[in-house]
Amino acid sequence: MPDAFHVTPIVADIVEQARQVARSLAEFGHGLVHPTVRLGVTGLSRAGKTVFITALVHGLVRGGRFPVFEPMASGRIAGAALSPQPDDAVPRFEYERHVRTVVAEREWPESTRQISELRVVIEYQSANGAMRTLTLDIVDYPGEWLLDLPLLEQDYAQWSADMLARSHTPSRRGHAAAFHAHVAGIDALKPAQETVAIEAARLFTAYLEACRGERPTLGLMPPGRFLMPGDFAGSPALTFAPLDLPEGQEPPAGSHGALMRRRYDAYRDMVVRPFFREHFARLDRQIVLVDVLSALDAGAEAVRDLQDALTAILDCFRVGRGGWFGALFRPSADRILFAATKADRLHHTAHDRLEEILRRMTQRAISRAGGAGAEVDVIALAAVRATREALVQGESGGLPSIVGLAAPGEVTHEFGDKKEIAVFPGDLPSDVSQLFDAGSEPSRAAMPRLTKKGDFRAVRFRPPALELTDDGVPALPHIRLDRALQFLIGDRLR
Amino acid sequence: MSEPLRKPAVFSLDDPRVVVAGREEQPAEAASSIDQGAQAEHLSAAPARRVWRWPWGALFWSALSGLVLLALSLAVTRFVEDLFARAPWLGALGLALALLAGAALLAVILREAIGLARLATVEHLRERAAAVIASDDRESGRALVADMIALTRGIPQLARARTRLAGHRADIIDGRDLVRLAERELLAPLDHEARRLVLAASKRVSVVTAISPRVGLDLVFVLINALSLIRKLAVLYGGRPGALGVLALFRRVMAHLAVTGGVALTDSVLQQLIGHGLAARLSARLGEGMVNGLLTARLGLLAIDLVRPLPFCALPRPTLNELAGSLLRSAEPDPAGDGRDRRDGPKSQ
Repeated sequence: MPDAFHVTPIVADIVEQARQVARSLAEFGHGLVHPTVRLGVTGLSRAGKTVFITALVHGLVRGGRFPVFEPMASGRIAGAALSPQPDDAVPRFEYERHVRTVVAEREWPESTRQISELRVVIEYQSANGAMRTLTLDIVDYPGEWLLDLPLLEQDYAQWSADMLARSHTPSRRGHAAAFHAHVAGIDALKPAQETVAIEAARLFTAYLEACRGERPTLGLMPPGRFLMPGDFAGSPALTFAPLDLPEGQEPPAGSHGALMRRRYDAYRDMVVRPFFREHFARLDRQIVLVDVLSALDAGAEAVRDLQDALTAILDCFRVGRGGWFGALFRPSADRILFAATKADRLHHTAHDRLEEILRRMTQRAISRAGGAGAEVDVIALAAVRATREALVQGESGGLPSIVGLAAPGEVTHEFGDKKEIAVFPGDLPSDVSQLFDAGSEPSRAAMPRLTKKGDFRAVRFRPPALELTDDGVPALPHIRLDRALQFLIGDRLR
Repeated sequence: MSEPLRKPAVFSLDDPRVVVAGREEQPAEAASSIDQGAQAEHLSAAPARRVWRWPWGALFWSALSGLVLLALSLAVTRFVEDLFARAPWLGALGLALALLAGAALLAVILREAIGLARLATVEHLRERAAAVIASDDRESGRALVADMIALTRGIPQLARARTRLAGHRADIIDGRDLVRLAERELLAPLDHEARRLVLAASKRVSVVTAISPRVGLDLVFVLINALSLIRKLAVLYGGRPGALGVLALFRRVMAHLAVTGGVALTDSVLQQLIGHGLAARLSARLGEGMVNGLLTARLGLLAIDLVRPLPFCALPRPTLNELAGSLLRSAEPDPAGDGRDRRDGPKSQ
């Protein structure tokens, strides 16, 4: 079967398109009767996806302080409830457990490492008085998986050549040494041995992880599941590596080259394509969470790495305005929100600069999405606000600081873990271009400030105690979660 | 090209320099900013807007009224002197009455001036709101919300909305959203009421025109009704215009009406023609009444635009079609009025 796809990629493509069209038609019909919004939540690991979804669902279901989210603020939302999700093959987002972690234990939930889904049914009254329901499907998937989308258009030989060429660049050669040594001993045309293949895949994965873990990172490279395996850890589809294929020679059946190619195709057809078809192509709205502050905390190099990673990921995005034609044949996200998460680690006076930094990082994706007709917005967001604000009096108008209970081990100071502290995280540069100065080596060296670690410090805080809404219901405090909601689904609740 | 960036720092909460922005401390800070804002506004509002030209008209009227006032005071002085000549107690009484009248005149003038200043404040607020919506600036948004709360302090049905809004002041909300929030919270009930006022006024006008015995009378009524509608709308939205303020507003409404008349005519001409045609078939006077009613409605809508302290952004602007719709609907199921109208018509002519 994979071989058939390999031989006729065009046919495969047509079949794929036809499938999507059929599915869109079915969904379009269904959407007329039961309006549904599929909200994609993505971001690199530790960007705050889990907390975002937990806070969002908690706010919708239990009623939150959402003054800017018009349907809820004006009282038009009668109620929202969790409901069984439509896709039986996808794990459910463990909302209850995460809420308990945040609210009761005042800890941050552990990060999820695979796709998950949750369905919320919102009952509301439209502005003209009719009772309606809107089904909100929240799909949470690791941003790393988006790296795989270009693989759909590459075959094994192309991919292999590309990866090997990249691994020989000076900055990466060191990390790839073990892998290179192993691959050099493999003849792609000789009969395959499973142990050799496994070892090659292991070394290749180690190389990818080393590239990513390196400071500065060397960028993210596909296959994304090697970095974030999800359910497929250890399966043959993830046991392949690029090989040095001889030019113009078709590897015979049973050889290393054929084995690797089969597995690459299997990866593409069993892992990447289903993800694209089942999830990514069906999203109506998308929010991309980016942890800018942690990168700033680690220094300007990390910021540039983050930008590279984001660029790699966002290049795979496919967006466009709905329209009836588009809605019928190519469903795609028509609103995209880029959110700099954990904005509660800054005083609100610095949020504009944070937004500006994120805007610069995602500029390419924004202009492309805007060109494709999607609405794009950039905000600084804290799905759960762990701090309050304070002013430390002193020279030049005082330091705008934040107050909260620092996470254990964050502050190695005389302050201790049990008491609240006030933190001034440091100024963000007003001229953002300082951070992204073309990236050439001399300008990096000349970069004045914030290049060094320690010029900016984003302390992690423990989750806050609950606050009360206007109706006296306990709610999680947040920053601009309501604005995000208004942007993402407000227009569907009119 | 950059200001020095300050280094991160950590403080204990016991440090006396740390001032936590708590809920109890927030209003005080906000209140002071209201005062400042309000003062700044009173200072800056009056000369802010107009392109300055030599005010010949104003000069003429001021000089003339000064003359009249002088003549009047001269006459009064003479009269009081005469009274003193006749009998001292009469003179004292006259003097007391004259002083009383003078004091009352002063008070009236003062009130008018305050009314005008308040109208200017409202207008200035609207301009600021438009600027905040454009710039999305958080600090000016906060100041604007504080001023809105101060402006609507005299409107009792907004007490709850005001507390809700004040409760959100500590939240981190951006400028544009703040303005929208203030509009939704504070102005939604007022808009509703304004719509009702305009509709009621135009209904009244259409009925009175339809049954008025003389052509001149209904014109007078339309005028008086329009003035009272403008005054009511201004009061509703937190302005307290005196007679001068109402006249100034009326003048501006009429100017707008002249400018936008053509535009409005095209967008609602169908409605009007249908309304007129239908009603005219029933009775020529009823049709006239309908037209006058619609005119009043349009005037009311323009007045809303002028006296509303925020531009329409989050809430829908009331449209003439929607009002005309209710006006027509209210005319239709009322055949009794129509019958009476027909009976009245011939009798009066």
